[in-house]
Amino acid sequence: MRGRWRGPSSHVDGVTVGGVLDPHAPDAPYDSAWHRRKLDYRLVNPANRRRFKVIVVGTGLAGAGAAAALGELGYQVESFTFHDAPRRAHSVAAQGGINAAREDTADNDSLQRFVTDTVKGGDFRGREVDAFRLAEESMRVVDHLNAIGAPFAREYGGTLATRSFGGVQVSRTFYARGQTGQQLQVASAQALQRQVHAGTVTLRVRHEMLDLIMDGDRVGGVVMRNLISGDITAHTAHAVVLATGGYGNIFFHSTLAKNSNASAIWRAAQHGAHFASPSFIQFHPTALPISSQWQSKTILMSESLRNDGRVWVPTRPGDQRPANDIPETERDYYLERKYPAFGNLTPRDVASRAATEQIRSGHGVGPLCNGVYLDFRDAIARLGRHTIAERYGNLFHMYTNATGEDPYEVPMRIAPGAHFTMGGLWSDYDLMTSLPGLFVGGECGWGYHGANRLGANSLLSACVDGWFTLPHTVANYLAPHLGTEPLADDSPQVRAALSRTRARADALLAIGGTHGPGHFHRLLGAILYEGCGVIRSRETLEHAIGRIRELRAEFWRDLRVVGTGLHLNQELELAGRVADYLELAELMCVDALDREESCGAHFRAEHQRDGEATRDDKRWAFASAWQVGTDGGFIRHHEPLHFDTVPLTTRDYR
Amino acid sequence: MTSSRVGRGRHAHGALVEGGTTDRDALGMGIVRSARLKPPPRIPSWVLKVVMAVTGVVFALFVLVHMIGNLKVFTGAEHFNEYAHWLRTVLQPFLPYEGLLWILRIALMVALVAHVWSAALIWRRGRASRGRHRRPGMWVKNFTARTMVVTGIVLLGFVVFHVLDLTTGTAGVAVDTFQPATPSTAHAYENLVSSLQRPWVALAYMVSMLALFLHLAHGLWTVVSDVGFTGVRLRTVAWWVAGVVALAVMLGNILIPIAVLMGVVA
Amino acid sequence: MKLVMDVWRQAAPGEAGHYETHEVDDATPEMSLLELLDRLNFALVENDREPVAFESDCREGICGACGITVDGIPHGPQQNTPSCHQRLASFHDGQRIRLEPLRSAAYPVIRDLVVDRSALDRIIVAGGHVAVPGGSAPDADALLVSHERAEQALDMAACIGCGACVAACPNGAAHLFVGSKLAHLSLLPTGRQERGKRARAMLNEMEQDFGPCSLYGECAKVCPANIPLTAIAAVNKEGLRSFFRHKDD
Repeated sequence: MRGRWRGPSSHVDGVTVGGVLDPHAPDAPYDSAWHRRKLDYRLVNPANRRRFKVIVVGTGLAGAGAAAALGELGYQVESFTFHDAPRRAHSVAAQGGINAAREDTADNDSLQRFVTDTVKGGDFRGREVDAFRLAEESMRVVDHLNAIGAPFAREYGGTLATRSFGGVQVSRTFYARGQTGQQLQVASAQALQRQVHAGTVTLRVRHEMLDLIMDGDRVGGVVMRNLISGDITAHTAHAVVLATGGYGNIFFHSTLAKNSNASAIWRAAQHGAHFASPSFIQFHPTALPISSQWQSKTILMSESLRNDGRVWVPTRPGDQRPANDIPETERDYYLERKYPAFGNLTPRDVASRAATEQIRSGHGVGPLCNGVYLDFRDAIARLGRHTIAERYGNLFHMYTNATGEDPYEVPMRIAPGAHFTMGGLWSDYDLMTSLPGLFVGGECGWGYHGANRLGANSLLSACVDGWFTLPHTVANYLAPHLGTEPLADDSPQVRAALSRTRARADALLAIGGTHGPGHFHRLLGAILYEGCGVIRSRETLEHAIGRIRELRAEFWRDLRVVGTGLHLNQELELAGRVADYLELAELMCVDALDREESCGAHFRAEHQRDGEATRDDKRWAFASAWQVGTDGGFIRHHEPLHFDTVPLTTRDYR
Repeated sequence: MTSSRVGRGRHAHGALVEGGTTDRDALGMGIVRSARLKPPPRIPSWVLKVVMAVTGVVFALFVLVHMIGNLKVFTGAEHFNEYAHWLRTVLQPFLPYEGLLWILRIALMVALVAHVWSAALIWRRGRASRGRHRRPGMWVKNFTARTMVVTGIVLLGFVVFHVLDLTTGTAGVAVDTFQPATPSTAHAYENLVSSLQRPWVALAYMVSMLALFLHLAHGLWTVVSDVGFTGVRLRTVAWWVAGVVALAVMLGNILIPIAVLMGVVA
Repeated sequence: MKLVMDVWRQAAPGEAGHYETHEVDDATPEMSLLELLDRLNFALVENDREPVAFESDCREGICGACGITVDGIPHGPQQNTPSCHQRLASFHDGQRIRLEPLRSAAYPVIRDLVVDRSALDRIIVAGGHVAVPGGSAPDADALLVSHERAEQALDMAACIGCGACVAACPNGAAHLFVGSKLAHLSLLPTGRQERGKRARAMLNEMEQDFGPCSLYGECAKVCPANIPLTAIAAVNKEGLRSFFRHKDD
């Protein structure tokens, strides 16, 4: 039946409808699929493992986990990061926690509920069978990270403490203060460095991946640029794992680290790897609005603030009075008004959308009228300043630091900021992309989170991929290749990849225009927020596509990269990343334009009823996996999504 | 190196040098230098610090007891000289005349050598590790820490002077009327008073006591870290004890030259 | 506001560096130190001049990538605050400030304000980890850790690895960094199992690149993670413990 199914035709210029992708999911009920598949995986004899070489790009939770686990098993692992140390990967910045279906509290949580929450939270655009793996391995993940040095918060009795997080009704989030990501990341980086010590992993820092080396239709290695010396080198292996994180930085202002980028996965896409759901981008509702020209990012404030803060805007558009001068009757607590059941705690996508509507209709606050208030006045009156300080003291401090305003006295200003990319390289159940030998882990992949990610599920997915999935699936892929050698250094494939990479770097350096890459990045971000942001429409997207193409042309005509390629050149690094963003941005908009429905974080203005998103399960219950065409167009392949244990329902937070 | 790296040639002329040589292997790992700054030292720095802590505590106890003994000067010449005599004859006949004194002197001498030698090594290692660019703009609070070397040198000079002045009575340093102790009697009181009646000696003495205060205050506080006490309460107590002991030793000792200059003790 | 900056410029490791003076006229008090450099670099690039290389990533104070010495103080004038969170409000209009890389013999300059802090990672590689292979971990709920102990471990584990402690130290010592790691791991049930071995390995590695501690306390003043000075005592504590017990655990 799957074979005969065809995706809907597209009305977007340049889009061709492709085929149906097979996720290679186990032929078993979803709740026993992972168990079943693990039994089916081929193994590699311990003595033979060192005869295989695996490259892992990225040292975040997924990359460090995969490299450490594979190294520990005995494979020859070469691990790369563009940072100066593995610990700096952006997993480090996650604040809230990590979900696990450990059923630690008597709140009737279960594996099935975890899956239901994840699938529903993702608005039925993720792969349910993957969510089961996520849930099952979540228990081991917490045990393992605890054992390798992550100090989880503890009850006074000594057992793990939990808290609840947005979008769920149980308490399954494990945490370490507001630094869960940091603690997990540091523990994983240490585990990786243990393998460096043991000699199983070769860790190369300050190396940025610029291309893949193809060996026929298989992936045979990567091309790296040494960021200190500018050396462009080829590294070959039997398999390559990309764990290079999300591409939210494409929006210029985002909650991501400044160096996070899409280059590795976009290079893979250029070689034919399918890119799933590029337009599924989560906007975090409690980021700080842009308030000055040179502000470099939208700092993230923890979602937990919405537990006590009330979100409001002035009733009268353009009301410029100071917040405290606006009387109660002229305040619109719009979340409480529109979603009385969930109030200020509606899920991220709903809260972001509601804020965007208010800002667009002229109710925005702040000097640039681009935020909404998050007010603690009532909470302070109810609970006392002391309690609020205890709960949010560090966040308030951070806010004051960033804005110079005191949230005890005046309401915070918040605005949606680009945060997490649910989309990424398409992979099958075994995390292998459509290019044999190329695997993905963590945010650069897709699958678990559908069209919207639940809080505290990102750390989990990265850990599950890295520590407990890739070590099995990579071995399964390697087993039949025993006795083969990676590509030789002087093979034509390697030489081709090297000269391609150099030509690209030279091309960037040779334009000799007038503006640095940062200029184009900034412009691209503005185009995307406007056209492919929290609310998209045919009109904004078509407009954005046109502007992106113009900007891309201008980039290649007017870019200036100061310096040469022979030294640490951050302008050149950024230029390469922006060049890739300018291509990926178009695909993002095409995907958003192509998908004629609203689901999760993808909200098309045309597809709503009474202000609520309308999903079209009849036509769009599939994941779009895009192939970059040779003619500048895109081919949309489809992975139909089947939901066995979670009935298709409409999310309703009213 | 397990990787297959090719294509280095193009950029091989890159100007990456550290100390005149290019560390290509390190560079391949994405770092500038893989060689350590220095080989592992035969005696680790933390051992030197423990040595300094232990010997420092010995000195601290010594100066505390010494100060208390000194205060006997206010009880009159006879009493003070008796105390000096007692120090020489204590534990007789188990120990010979000046037996305990010599044991203490030798112990203090060993401690002094160990303390100064450790300090010198630590100072040298610190400078080497810091490199060419010194740390400017430090907060006022660690004045005592920053002046440890200076106060240490002042104290070392003072110890030498003090021994020549009041123990050996070396001419040129001690007063002309210096009378050494004999098995039957001591003249510590007269020697002390006449020495401190020289204003420059009294002043040098007082300056040295100020140095001692600074040195002790930081040194004693450092001891808790050097011997690895991590308890918060213990550390708070130690911080106060260090300050109080240092202050007490300084004040107690400074009283004497002041009293001598003012003629209270004569 | 206007700021005049004397910025350290150095083309490559081992080369001679010098200060270059630049001005930014349109700075605002809520801008961060790094945004000031962004602004400066934008102007430099527009004028076809080499921008100032400096390291930064998350700009949220957690990744530890940034670190610029401002008027001699690592990270900047505001205590316990990383460079990315240092606001220009700390300076007055027209002030002249000196920006240089984190200074230590163990941190060779790569370019301008970017240094190589890999010596810190060598210490972690030597022993700053826990030998529990993937899949073999015991139930985290079965390994009881008291609330108090977990919080203490978190105090120590908060280190972001920025390396400012070393640059703040007149002795170039890394005790705050090493001590926090030793203390963090020795407070946890699995980490305790190789406590002696870890202390020996890490201290031995530390001695080869970093200086001795004289308890200046400068490190704790600049530490963005507020690691307390007790971490320093942990270095000697673990050193003494492993020396006298002479065992691996």
